[in-house]
Amino acid sequence: MTEDSRLTVDAPDAPLAEGSYVPAALPVGLRRVPSGVDEVSTEHLVVNFGPQHPSTHGVLRMIIEADGEEVVGAEMSIGYLHRGIEKLAEHRRYNALGTLMDRGDYVSGIHGELAVALATEALIEVEVPEKAHWIRSLMSEVNRIASHLVWYGTFGLDAGGMGQFLYAVRDREMLLDILEAVSGSRMMFNYIRPGGVLADLPQGTDRKLLEFLDLFDIHIEEHDQLLGGNEIFQSRVHGVGVIDKETAIAFGLTGANLRASGVGFDVRRDRPYAAYDKLEFSVPMAAEGDCWARYAVRMEEMRQSARMVRQCLEGMPEGDFTAKVPKVLRPPAGEAYAAVESPRGEWGVHVVSDGTESPYRLRYRPPALFALQVVEAIMPGSLIADAIVMAGSVDLVLGEIDR
Amino acid sequence: MNMILVASLRVIAALGLMLLNGVVLIYMLRKVLGHLHVRLGPMNVGWHGVLQTLNDVLKLLTKEDPTPTNVDKVLYFMAPAIVFVPSLAAYAALPFSKTWAISNLATGLLFTFAIMSLVPLGVLMAGWSSSNKWSLLGGMRAVGQQIAYEVPLLLSALPIVLMVGSLNLNDIVAAQDRVWFFIPQFPALLLFFIAALVELNQTPFDMSEAESELVAGFASEYSAMKFGLLFLSEFSNMFVMAALIVTLFFGGWSLPFVPAEMLTPIGPPVIFMIKTYLIIFCFMWIRGTFPRVRVDQLQQLGWKVLLPANLVWLFVTGLAVKVIEAVAR
Amino acid sequence: MHPDVTAITSALRAAGVTSVEVEQTSLGVIVRPQVPELAAVLSALRDGSSVFTFMVDLFGMDTGDAVELTYHLRSLSRDEEIYVRVSVAYDGAFTSVWEAYPAALMPEREIAEMFGLTLQGHPNPKRLLTTDGLDPMLLKRIEIRGAEEVRAR
Repeated sequence: MTEDSRLTVDAPDAPLAEGSYVPAALPVGLRRVPSGVDEVSTEHLVVNFGPQHPSTHGVLRMIIEADGEEVVGAEMSIGYLHRGIEKLAEHRRYNALGTLMDRGDYVSGIHGELAVALATEALIEVEVPEKAHWIRSLMSEVNRIASHLVWYGTFGLDAGGMGQFLYAVRDREMLLDILEAVSGSRMMFNYIRPGGVLADLPQGTDRKLLEFLDLFDIHIEEHDQLLGGNEIFQSRVHGVGVIDKETAIAFGLTGANLRASGVGFDVRRDRPYAAYDKLEFSVPMAAEGDCWARYAVRMEEMRQSARMVRQCLEGMPEGDFTAKVPKVLRPPAGEAYAAVESPRGEWGVHVVSDGTESPYRLRYRPPALFALQVVEAIMPGSLIADAIVMAGSVDLVLGEIDR
Repeated sequence: MNMILVASLRVIAALGLMLLNGVVLIYMLRKVLGHLHVRLGPMNVGWHGVLQTLNDVLKLLTKEDPTPTNVDKVLYFMAPAIVFVPSLAAYAALPFSKTWAISNLATGLLFTFAIMSLVPLGVLMAGWSSSNKWSLLGGMRAVGQQIAYEVPLLLSALPIVLMVGSLNLNDIVAAQDRVWFFIPQFPALLLFFIAALVELNQTPFDMSEAESELVAGFASEYSAMKFGLLFLSEFSNMFVMAALIVTLFFGGWSLPFVPAEMLTPIGPPVIFMIKTYLIIFCFMWIRGTFPRVRVDQLQQLGWKVLLPANLVWLFVTGLAVKVIEAVAR
Repeated sequence: MHPDVTAITSALRAAGVTSVEVEQTSLGVIVRPQVPELAAVLSALRDGSSVFTFMVDLFGMDTGDAVELTYHLRSLSRDEEIYVRVSVAYDGAFTSVWEAYPAALMPEREIAEMFGLTLQGHPNPKRLLTTDGLDPMLLKRIEIRGAEEVRAR
């Protein structure tokens, strides 16, 4: 586990072997081993993990072809949560797009709202006040901790542990209370609007957050000990589900998953938005690309997020929390792409405007969809138990994948 | 006539104990796991939810019991019984006190192990006959781990037999009047505990019903009282195994420095139960904390670690027993 | 962040793709090849000196005349982004680029079902998100029916 400098993309010790990727060498899950009787006269078993299964994080359906306990072919079947968000967005005003994004990635709604707000702001060219930037960063990081806690808990569940989930939920509960106090909702925030944020932070938010952070600094070590310090857990994740650097790039992996594979791209640092250019944080990286690397990177990200929340509280400037924007936004015709670093990776929103009050086309880039493809590709050859851990390690949220 | 009456009364007593144990253990599991997980567990039915389990038993009894269409009918109906009966029979040799035992068998230890090893047969039947992929995988795993861990389990009890020179559980308890065997036999206790966890399908070795992998494993297709029997036998096995640990390593119904005569008649069974429940608490503690090992890791642990370690410890114990005998002579 | 237009043009020329528009817009640099040239353009961008090996996103848009596919590429080593756009006629066909960019596997399936296009050269060209028989819903001519349904109730 290494922490890198500000500039990592060209880090000398980690040259990107670009272009060296050979598709045929990859065990793409779609190349299925034909089902039937092979030479030792055993039959392959096709099992459906999901859509209703205890460990499929919502409604993912993994069609796994198993030879005994070994996975020989895997296919991800998604769409059970498809709500047509991209189509609906073409019938919503720009102000209302945030609500749709909340329902995309329901575990980290703030990030979706922020992405769509940034894209809209790029179209209407509004100057966002400084304080709004800071509040956005603050809320993003608070939401990131809450989201990573869910991942931490469910990842442990996938590995067969039970305790850590409830400990994680205990901490997340405090964060959700704070998020509710700020935005009025526990998960569907609709707090970040084009031009700024919905409302100023209520009185006492900083006190509550500091209280939480003082606890969390202790609790995060507790979490790390409870799961990461467990010998059994370590033997389950070390060397399991290795995604090497070339595969990660070729499959468009982003976020913590990409950084765990040794590629240092972080939207917060490399395409700064909100107040991230004024915050001090390091981007955790690991080179192994296995489940343990992803675990370690995410745990460190939580510590960094806590650090950033403190900085945001200290550096919070005075001023307006939103710019003056008209009630009905009519951006001029044009296109914009804005990306934020959501807990699952790069959440990009591509908005095409035709000058009317709702977007002509809105596409959002679901980072977990790309992670899902990698899981599909690396799954064959592992054991069923490992396949579950792999799918858990990349942090899938089906609401975001299915849209 | 009298013989038959006594025998029937004994069976009924065992059955009652088993059912009562099941009810208490389910409640205990919920409460222990709840408090380990910073929550409260059942709270609404009765004082602190004490009647919750009763409620659930009632639910299981009155529930509709659908049979899936493609099951192998005979095996499907037999499996819960075959799982349940050995669990019940395993109570036969447990010594609750010097005189309180359903049957004072000369080969009590052997009998308990033998009868407990019938359980996975029923589990495999349940897994196979359900014609469900999860059940099948669960049943196969159960048999795999049973074969792998039967040997270490027996081997880790052998040093005790060497020291005592008897397979009678009461003799084993009586031999611990000066020092409980967990002090000289601590490695054997560890090995026995691990093997017992595997035999019981307890976390971290709950392969055959690994929830995050196999949904509910071999019990996926069972509902109502058939599921109830599978469930009950699991808890009863837990009790039997904990009782064996208490008998072999923690002095059974005896207390240190207290002569047995002072405790009679009700003392020894109470002590025995308390000790057993403490061991069960340890099982639950592990269950609330640990993740699950992988199937191949489980097998490696069994064959590559536990078996050699057991043989080494058996050798050491045998040597020590002989040396002590020689010195004493 | 935005690559140099002339450099991209000359790089594409060197790779043998001559009749390609490269323009700088407010969004970024957009390369507009014809459908047959797409594979050549993508491989030139991926393997050339600019090394656009990372596919950020792939999505379609109904422009009113045709379906426009946008390949959003990124070069991690040069920290540059570029967009490649091709137009595909309604009910037309497009070829998968998954051998160059495996990231496109699922987005391509999604485009095919959402815009009613035929996907060629894909290892698993099934529908991704919706079931058989549903309209290609992201086309502008397909209307959402919520309002009528509420009124009819």
